[in-house]
This record gives sequence, structure tokens and C-alpha cells, in this order.
Amino acid sequence: MKKFLPPLIPLVVVAVAIEAAVRRGALPSYLVPAPSAVLHALFESRGELAGAMAKTSAAAVVGFALSTLAGIAIAVLLSSSRAIQRAFYPYAVFFQTVPIIAIAPLLVIWFGYGMKTVIASAFIVSIFPVIANTLTGLLSTDPALRDLFRLYGASPGVTLFKLRFPAALPQILTGLRVASGLAVIGAIVGEFIGGQGLGSVVDIARTQQRVDKVFAAVLLASALGLALFGLINLISTATLRRWHASEAGQ
Amino acid sequence: MNRREFVSLCGVALAACGKPNKIRLALNWKPDPQFGGFYAAPYQQHGLDVEILPGGAGTPTVQMIGAGSAEFGIVSADELVVARARGNDVVALFAVFQNCPQGIMAHASRHLASIGDVLKEGTLAIQRGLPYARILEKKYGFDRVKVVPSPGGDISTFLRDEKFAQQCFVMSEPLQARHAGVDVKVFPVADIGYNPYTTVLAISGAQLKSDPDRAKSMVAAVREGWRAYLNDPKPTNDRMHELNPSMDAASFAEVAEAQKSFIETGQLGVMTSERWTTLIGQLAELGDIPQVMPAQDCFRNV
Amino acid sequence: MINVTNTTGTEAAGGVAIGLERVRRVFDNQFVVIEGMDLRIDAGEFLAVLGPSGCGKSTLLRTIARLSAPDGGRIVAEPDQFQAGFVFQDAHLLPWRTVLDNAALPLELMGAGREERYAKARTVLAQVGLAEAEERYPAQLSGGMRMRVSLARALVTEPRLLLLDEPFAALDEITRFNLEVQLRELWQRRGMTVIFVTHSISEAAFLANRAVVLARRGGRIKLDRRLDMPNDRTNDLRSDPRLGHEMKFLMGAMEEE
Repeated sequence: MKKFLPPLIPLVVVAVAIEAAVRRGALPSYLVPAPSAVLHALFESRGELAGAMAKTSAAAVVGFALSTLAGIAIAVLLSSSRAIQRAFYPYAVFFQTVPIIAIAPLLVIWFGYGMKTVIASAFIVSIFPVIANTLTGLLSTDPALRDLFRLYGASPGVTLFKLRFPAALPQILTGLRVASGLAVIGAIVGEFIGGQGLGSVVDIARTQQRVDKVFAAVLLASALGLALFGLINLISTATLRRWHASEAGQ
Repeated sequence: MNRREFVSLCGVALAACGKPNKIRLALNWKPDPQFGGFYAAPYQQHGLDVEILPGGAGTPTVQMIGAGSAEFGIVSADELVVARARGNDVVALFAVFQNCPQGIMAHASRHLASIGDVLKEGTLAIQRGLPYARILEKKYGFDRVKVVPSPGGDISTFLRDEKFAQQCFVMSEPLQARHAGVDVKVFPVADIGYNPYTTVLAISGAQLKSDPDRAKSMVAAVREGWRAYLNDPKPTNDRMHELNPSMDAASFAEVAEAQKSFIETGQLGVMTSERWTTLIGQLAELGDIPQVMPAQDCFRNV
Repeated sequence: MINVTNTTGTEAAGGVAIGLERVRRVFDNQFVVIEGMDLRIDAGEFLAVLGPSGCGKSTLLRTIARLSAPDGGRIVAEPDQFQAGFVFQDAHLLPWRTVLDNAALPLELMGAGREERYAKARTVLAQVGLAEAEERYPAQLSGGMRMRVSLARALVTEPRLLLLDEPFAALDEITRFNLEVQLRELWQRRGMTVIFVTHSISEAAFLANRAVVLARRGGRIKLDRRLDMPNDRTNDLRSDPRLGHEMKFLMGAMEEE
């Protein structure tokens, strides 16, 4: 409980301030909804929101899992040779820079309206941090340890699994932390175009000028991002606790 | 005259020579023929310095008026009523389209007879949040058709998929489809009895109260602009085409011609209480607004 | 050259004789680190390599370890197939593995089964005095303990050649003294050839039977001296005048340039 108290305090303070401002008329309620209105919308539309959140969560999780697997695999490939790295890394950067809003309609053409497009969108938006961080981790292996492995005749495959990969784990987890939130964003954007989940709720509520419902859906999307982030942190603690400075102090 | 009279006369003269009012007019789509009159309007002659802000998909014009980031905006009548219900004091001044040009378009090859038939199979791309979408859902049900978000003016999926129907502006997307070789059948939304004023010039209630003369000048300028545009759209079309190259010059001309039937030339821009009352009743029945409101609050013919 | 044999003869691993014939190492196609070195090292010899920073002693060590090939000349060994152990300047342990798994790593990489490699790892850990620590992680050990694990790891394959690159430089003096004594004992027991690179004159004199001093550049051997010291080296020897005597020779060679 003690751990959750510090971040809750500013949240409560701000929420009370906004509530007071909206009630007094200082903030227009059609632009900024009172927190009480948002909570009311959450409760009133709980069935619809629960279903939407389930869909968005599924898409974000699957997209994130795919970007984790593909991202790590691509990074391993890129780390295997300088030539391959120089030839293909710029294309990996493309995933970072392409504006998802612009290519989402293209995704609909390829994957149709529905879950596949949303997953594809989540994947595209979240894969680059995984590639970049994993690659950095794999390329930063202690040269002395690499020498040690060579001294005893270890093959590149053995060196990858027993040395480079475990050594890169802290960096990989950093990449996953960033990617987890991005996967949720990607899913929401995909849903604007593909038509389901929390993204769809936001889009429809916006058209209906239901700001309270928009905020309610956004709150749930944030909660989803937080949950994924928390999951990665849990994994990080479990695996790094005994040996890495970042978790050792816990 | 004495000294005091002379000073006040100078004051009035100075005021008259002062800079014109700086005004932002926010559009809710890219520059195209539906805004022709606004681009043709002689604002300077009415003492107005107007900057037109083009919009796009999802431009929140009602909120912009309410928040003060634009002095005037283009909205649709139904979104104005809903905004008022949410506490946003927006007032309509001038309606371009007396009749709502929104509709659903489907491939002619499907030989559909009515709007209800569109909802029997295939896919319908529509903005579900719009009142008429929900009226359709209430009347016919969406259980047999797959409903997806509207692609916002992009007809590429429509062209490729025969069973794909989408919302449109009656004089816009169907013309594009015909150019691309696909014959379409259009079902106007007005056919199901839903006919809000569309492409409406609106202002915030506060501004209207504090400077009614400015609103009057604006409407007068806009009215002249629309008369000029209806008379000869070409020069304005050229200007708009430069701002919006995604539509070619020939299409500009075609759409400008096709939209004429939706614009009432006799009483250009004028609105009636009855039409607003009908709309308010429909929205209350849908549940989009909690209760009816007086029609007079929503508009002013200045 | 006298062949040094192990004195106790209980765990004779035996050594390997190394011969460098005009060995040349060049960096980036232009910077000559070692220019034509000739050096003969006998099996079971404890050789110290001294020299200022950048003189090429680490490069020499890595070349002998076959981690890099010479750019000229050749290295012959007798027997020509042998296992080497390497101790780096820092312990360089795998932080995600226990002490036991770290010590057993070389055998694991060479394909040995679990029981066999753990048994051998336990043996060497006991020899360096870390039997109690086998379940601990490197993050929980002191610098000196980590170095001992590194030493155990290098010895676990019972190598005929042990190479050390300034292994104790980062440790405090007492720990260093004790590890030096321990290393010497291990050498006496096993009889492998040891090449110990250092820039500490006192360490070289204390540990080795023979010392070569390299010039500042180019890997030229300025001094090659058999040290006149007793076989058993204990901490008491540090105040022995014979140590100071040998140090003077080495210092002289290091200073002149």
C-alpha cells in the first residue's frame, strides 16, 4: 500500500481541482469533463466498455507478443554481421518513423476490417524499440567474455544463447517496457480505422460529443498500458533480481 | 462647431478608418464546392478581415467556436443541437444546404430498392456516432450487415468490393465512383425523414450578443458570396483547387453544379423554426439530448 | 634453460613448452605492436612479463592464447594440442550464474556432463578457498573473491598453460599478497606453464622463476633473467633481501630507455 500512495496523491489533488472548476463553470464541461462525470460514464456504459476493453487488450497483447518475438529475432539477425546490419537497419528505423495514421487505411486493405488490422497496427507501432534495444544489448557484450567463450571453442550459437542473450536481458526488458505502451497506442489507432474496441468507443463518443465517455475509454486504455508495463516490470524483477544493479536494490 | 464637437467627430472618423475586425472561420472539411460561397464572399467590403481555416476529418468546429479558437465555424444542425445540450452556446446564422445532402451509396449492380435493402447484407461504412446512423439502426437493425468506420471520402475499398456500401455526400463520392467506372445508386438520408440543415455558419451565443453588427455583416457578406458562386463558380473553384489539389478542376465544376439542387436560392441561407423543432424532437427521441429545447435558441436569421 | 618440474608431484597436469619465432603483431595495418619476437618458454615454467603500459604485453598474451593469429612469424608448442586457461584483468564472471556455474563454465562449453563438471568445479573452488560460496552470485562477492572464482574457472579444465593478464591489479594489497601466494602454490601442485603479465616489479619478482622486460614499443625484450629466489614463496619472503635484489635488476631494465 505504501508504494501506491505517493503517485495517488497528485492524482486526487488534480481530480478534485478539476471537479471544482467544472462545477463552478470555470472550465466548460463540454471541453473538460468533471471526474465525477467520467466515473458516471464508466459505470453507465460498463458493459460496452468491458467488451471493448477485452477486444483492445487482446489485440494489444497479441501485437506486443508478436513484436517481441519478431523484434528480438530481427535484432539477433542484425547483430550477426556488420554488413547485414548496415544493409537492413535503416529499414527497421522505418517502423519507427512511418506515421501509423497514414498507413492504417492501407492495413485495412490488406487485413480487412477487424482484429487482424488492429493487431497489425499494434505490431508496427511497437516493434522498433524492441529491435533497437535488443540490438544494442547484443552488440554490447563484454569482449573479454567473448574471448573466454572463444578460448573454449564455443560456437556462435552457443555464445548467443549462453552469453550474449542473457547479457542483453536488461536492455531487452527496457525495450519491452517502451514497446508495451506503444502497442496499446497502436491498437487504438488501428481501431479508429478498423472499427472495434476502445478506439471505436472513443471515435463514436467523440462524434456524439460525449466527452465524458471519451475520457472514460481513454482512462481504460491507459490502465491497459499500465498493466502491460507492470507485467514487464514484474518479469524484470523476477529475472534480474539476483544479478543486475537495476533490480538488486529491491 | 466648438472644440468638443470637433474632437468627437475626429474620434468617430478615426474609428471608421480603423483596422477591420479580424475573424477566423473554421471549416469542417477540406476546401470544396460546399464552401464555395464562403471563399467567394466579399468580406473586406463589409469591413471584415476573415481568415478561412480549412478542416479535415474530425475537425471539432463546434468545440472550436465554444472555446474561442474560431469566431465562426461551419457545423451541421444536429451537432449544433447536441452541443447546446452539452452546455456549448452555439447559434446558427446561415444554412447553405436547405436539404441534407448526406446519403448512402451502393453499387448499382446490386439492384437495391431502398435504404433498408442496403442493410440486409454486405458491409456498410458509416460514422456510427452520427444521429442518422442510429436512426437507421433503430429502424432496420444492423444485425445482418457488417458495420465499419467510414473511410472519410476514400472510395478505394468501395470500388473493389461490390457488397461494400458507404456514407457519402450525394454530390461528391458518387460522382467520383462514376468517374472510376462504377455505377452507383444513392439513397439520400432525407428519404427516411431525417433532414437537418447542413453546412451551417455558426457563432458563439456570447459573441452574437456582444457584437450583433459584426454577425450581421458576416452573414451579409456570405450571402453575397453564395450568390456570386452560384452565378459563376469557376474563379472560386480555381482558388479552392489550389488549396485542395486532391480534387481535380473538372470534379470541382461537376460537384458545384450537382449541389445546386440542395441550395435554396430564393431565401438563401434562411432557416425556419419548424425545421429546427423537428430536428430537436428527433434527437430527443434518439436519446442524443436529454430533453427538447426551444428552437429559437438554436438559430437567428440576421 | 632449466626445465622446472613440480615439487610435490601430486596433481601433475604437466606444462607445455612454447616457442615464439619472429612473431609479429600489427594493428590497423600500420601500428607495429610486436616486431619479430623470439622467445622460448619451457614446460612448467613460471614466467613474468613486465613492461610499461602499451608495450604489447597483453597482445603477446592473447596471441599465445590463440585468440588472435600472429601477422608474421609463428608460434610452436610442444605438445601442439593443449588447453589454456586465461585470467583477465577483471574477474569477468557471468553475473546471472552462481559461483559454481561460473567455475564450471569452461567444462560446460567443452561439452562435459553436469555431474562431472560440478565435481571438478567444486574441487578447484575448494583449492581457492571458496567452497562455502558456491551458491552465491557474483554481485554478492567482494573483488578478491570474484578474482578467485575467475582463477578457479581458469584452472577447472586442468590446463597445461595458464595465462594471466594483470589479474590482481585492481585489488587491495593484502588480498593481492594472499592471492599471489595461493597462485604460486597452485602452480607448484599442478606444474602447468604460467605466463603472468604485470607492470608490478615486486609482483613479478615474488611470483616468477624467470622474468622478461619488454621495451616501451615494439615488444623488444630488454631483459631476460632467471630469478635467484627460493622455490617456496611465502609472505615472509617479501622482506627478504633477495627479493629486493632481484627487483633492482628488473627496475634497472624498466627505467633505462
